[in-house]
Amino acid sequence: MSQRGKRRSVFGRIRGSPYLFILPALVGLVFMVLYPFAFNIFITFTNMNIYHVRPCADIFAQATTGNSCYTINTDLFKNFVFVLTDPAFVQIMENSVIWTFSNVIPTVGLGLVLAFVLNSKVRGKTIYRLFMIVPWAMPSFITLLVWKGMYNYQYGIINALLSEIHIPSINWLESSNCFNPFLAIVIANIWLGYPFMMIIFSGALQSIPQELYEAASIDGATGITQMRHVTIPLIRPTIIVALLLGSIWTFNNFNSAYLITGGGPGICTTIFITQAYNQAFSYFSFAIAGTYAVIAFIILFVPGIFWTRYTGLTRSAA
Amino acid sequence: MALISVYPVLWVIAIAFSPGESLSSPTLAFGIIPVPSTFTLVHFSSILSLTVGNGSNFPLWVRNSALITVSSVLGSVALTLPAGYAFSRRKFRGQQASMFSFLLPTMFPGVVTIIPQFLLFSTLHLVNTFFAVIIPYMVGSLSLSIFIMKSAFDSIPREIDEAAMIDGAGELRIFTRMLLPLTLPSIATVSLWAFMGSWLDWALAHVMLQDNSLWTLPLALYAFLQSNYSYYGSFSAMALVMAVPVFIVFIVFQKYLVTGLTAGSVKG
Repeated sequence: MSQRGKRRSVFGRIRGSPYLFILPALVGLVFMVLYPFAFNIFITFTNMNIYHVRPCADIFAQATTGNSCYTINTDLFKNFVFVLTDPAFVQIMENSVIWTFSNVIPTVGLGLVLAFVLNSKVRGKTIYRLFMIVPWAMPSFITLLVWKGMYNYQYGIINALLSEIHIPSINWLESSNCFNPFLAIVIANIWLGYPFMMIIFSGALQSIPQELYEAASIDGATGITQMRHVTIPLIRPTIIVALLLGSIWTFNNFNSAYLITGGGPGICTTIFITQAYNQAFSYFSFAIAGTYAVIAFIILFVPGIFWTRYTGLTRSAA
Repeated sequence: MALISVYPVLWVIAIAFSPGESLSSPTLAFGIIPVPSTFTLVHFSSILSLTVGNGSNFPLWVRNSALITVSSVLGSVALTLPAGYAFSRRKFRGQQASMFSFLLPTMFPGVVTIIPQFLLFSTLHLVNTFFAVIIPYMVGSLSLSIFIMKSAFDSIPREIDEAAMIDGAGELRIFTRMLLPLTLPSIATVSLWAFMGSWLDWALAHVMLQDNSLWTLPLALYAFLQSNYSYYGSFSAMALVMAVPVFIVFIVFQKYLVTGLTAGSVKG
């Protein structure tokens, strides 16, 4: 700091304040993210919904029927109690956890394998790579609707293909058991998700210096040994980041969990984020939606902290 | 695997170029690959003549989408560059806390922030203006962008700044002449994130832009699907019109993407 100060006095040059540099972004963040975030926490303590949209003049007043404003609940944690004791909560929680793991592990695995394949000397790998980023480059709400069509019991191509190999048609989306619709949305989301992982891992593999492999071969290390002692240790940080970030994104992935099944049948494929959305925009219970969002945030906070710590994202250089 | 990747997209293409509006319009080559039954552009001409309300039409929605997306991308880059620079090159009080607060949006389900944003914009009388979507889009991509830019600036040795400073260059000059050209791949990645966020968004636009003369392409596509439930031919044609720019941008930026994204993800 003192050295910089000296330089300024010697050369007489103006250095802009760092606060000035982050100010525009910070203002945007405060109004578009932190304020909504705080507001959401606030409304979880109220009875806000479509009938009670504006805050009451006396916000602490007892809620009376017939007024169109919202007040703070006398029992502060009423909404949390309501959500946590809802019989649906356990299943939504289970769904969210299964949804996250059943997507992240295959997408990371598949991405890793394909990155290895495309990093070796395969002919035409540029064209393969281009094909494989298609799911990522297409607008997902369009491709998900196509998947919905492909899962159709009567006309869908998937059942048509199954019947070619003499497997009876599967009722993918309206099955009475939850397994089929859940599997259906997981498959579609893996299809959407693995190209990103593949690109991340390709980048990591390409950044390993070739000399390390040469040195390893001179020391007599062959394929599998090289893999174990050179490749895996060097890409392990990327794998961990991909797992953490992938979990957060999958947990919050609205499109994949909503556009094919709408969370149904029943609550078979409902996860936290789709539940929050339904509460807000189908039932207009904004306070309940906010409560689901806050619970989701509490759950995501832990992997979020791990991710920040592990990557040193907030650490300043030097 | 490559075939599975493109397969659903082949359906969209085949349906868009086949006559008829049903999902089963295309014929199957080899019993599996959908191809147009007879090649036709009828769906493309029919979406071009689509009109809603007082003359809102497809070209207008394309123009709206383009305008909103370009402003959001420029705005997002304008917010990201100075912030990423400050986080990389400076040490200041509250740095850790402000950096952490930029990461918060990643951990918070985005759809629920729409309600407070809507209430805020309606107080400011900005609902049904482009500002109501451009501002959230600009900020929406920040949590990743700022860190991509920070690690890009981190990867440039400080000695370069110092050498230039001794040669008499001011801070702004160092920033524009030395640092910006060296971080172009990451700026490309940041722009791409912002582009995807605004070009493809439906949820926020659906709440903020209710007037059909302000619609973006995803809103038009959605409205079309609502009113013509099974017009899959026209729907697919519209979907292709929307997807083509995304795909072109991807092909152009493909090699930058790897650099930019791994810069943010590799520990270092």
